[in-house]
Amino acid sequence: MKYILAALAIGVLAGYVNNNFGFPSLNTFISDYAFNLSLIALLFFMGLLFGADKEALAKLRKTGFKILAFPSAIALGSITGGLVGGILLGTNVFASMGVCAGYGWYTLTGPLAGQLFGLEWGAIGFTVNFLREITTIVTISVARKIDKYAPVAMGGATAMDTTLPVIVRYCGQDTLITAFSSGFTLTMIAPFAITTIAALAH
Amino acid sequence: MPNILDIAKLVLPLVAGIIMGYLLREKKSLNLGKITSGIILVLIFSLGFTMGSNGELLAVMPNVGVTTIVLLALALFFSILFVKAAKKLVRI
Repeated sequence: MKYILAALAIGVLAGYVNNNFGFPSLNTFISDYAFNLSLIALLFFMGLLFGADKEALAKLRKTGFKILAFPSAIALGSITGGLVGGILLGTNVFASMGVCAGYGWYTLTGPLAGQLFGLEWGAIGFTVNFLREITTIVTISVARKIDKYAPVAMGGATAMDTTLPVIVRYCGQDTLITAFSSGFTLTMIAPFAITTIAALAH
Repeated sequence: MPNILDIAKLVLPLVAGIIMGYLLREKKSLNLGKITSGIILVLIFSLGFTMGSNGELLAVMPNVGVTTIVLLALALFFSILFVKAAKKLVRI
């Protein structure tokens, strides 16, 4: 865990330093190539381990379609969090529900919320969802003690890519398909959820 | 809508890995722990690098603080709560 935190911290620092004093081409290399290649390699290895694990497949077969209960619960939970938060803060509840319906997909929610609810909400949409991803990674060793699937809930849409390797590593091989399918479903729902909430506001 | 190529980029290696793992399951036990740990560190580093090099993101952070933290905390809290409830409801 401490290596993951160190890698994240050094990455942020290196990115900041390089952006201000370094080579812009290094940005593309790391943000595009290193990121995508390591993600693809990890997904392949995670799949390999899952396919070779007899118990993991048996567990999935037992779960079946019940697996969709997770993304539904996460979608509802996130929007409820937005509603309660909006009421507590005395702000636009549709906007607060909208940004929470990004489920961690910050590159979508930032621009979309900015367009639908105004610039300030764009920034909030970006940061809430970006921090959702970081929080999932940083708190995983504590979160998995609350519930084996708590990190899947926290990761939201990111459970299909960036947080998936960390979730599988800390919560077990058998969480792979649950986490991936949950993240996948939430990724598909997010654009519709945000625009529907915006439509309800008008 | 998410880009179809972005989705394929994630689904294809995963499916290829599962099939290959399934075919190799009777072979000697696979020991990929060290490799995957190493790649996770590369992934997390490049994620951090992307964020650190995003000047706009770092600039807006202090201005939206309280709203962001409240919404994030509640979205996470209710997501976990609802997942726990769903687990009981459908008995996973």
